[in-house]
Amino acid sequence: MLPAQAKKAAASLAVMALVAGGATSAALAGGHHHRHHHHHHSGIPQHNGGDHDADNNGGPSDGDGNI
Amino acid sequence: MRPQSFAWVRPSPLPPSWSSLALPDSPASLPVPAGWHRAHGDPGTMTAELRGPGGEIEGYLNATPQQGEETLENWGEFRVEHNRDEEERDVELLASAPGLAFATGTGSCVLDSYLTSSERPYREIACIVAGPSATTVIVAAAPPRRWDAEGAVLRRAIQSFTT
Repeated sequence: MLPAQAKKAAASLAVMALVAGGATSAALAGGHHHRHHHHHHSGIPQHNGGDHDADNNGGPSDGDGNI
Repeated sequence: MRPQSFAWVRPSPLPPSWSSLALPDSPASLPVPAGWHRAHGDPGTMTAELRGPGGEIEGYLNATPQQGEETLENWGEFRVEHNRDEEERDVELLASAPGLAFATGTGSCVLDSYLTSSERPYREIACIVAGPSATTVIVAAAPPRRWDAEGAVLRRAIQSFTT
């Protein structure tokens, strides 16, 4: 499974490409970029690197505020 | 959004047959219903599960210290967007409410449903609770097909949660 952060990076590159191609700010404003402001603040390791919680393995989402 | 859906949230003692799992370096404790078992989770958190005969998850409880930008004020939006960012699909917010009373503080709760990336459907009650010295998230989830059977236990776990 492609890590979510990698997907976000790819999405960011896609947005940059749109900007370079002259996309309007209105089109960009219609996306969900605001979602990505919530994360990456915790000291709890994620992405199955010491993190084998259920949310990253097809189980229910746990209570972490990160991915 | 449909705050009446959380009228059942009120402080309740831990049922006598239940146990609890204390979070490390935190005053929070995760209620564990009789017959449930501790499961692996992130460091600093506690998880308990009920597994079916085939090993499938029939009930799930997790307590995690507040980590990021989640707050009592933004919880309704934060939780569903977090689930989407976890690559869950068909995330649907069914109800949310702030200002709910817990034994050791005040909390905000959501009821939502989603489909995991491995096509497993879950419904969850997720609450963020601010206690005197710690703010902690508790998640109570089950597959929709098990909600009628496990819902009362999940709600009781929420009611007896302390942080």
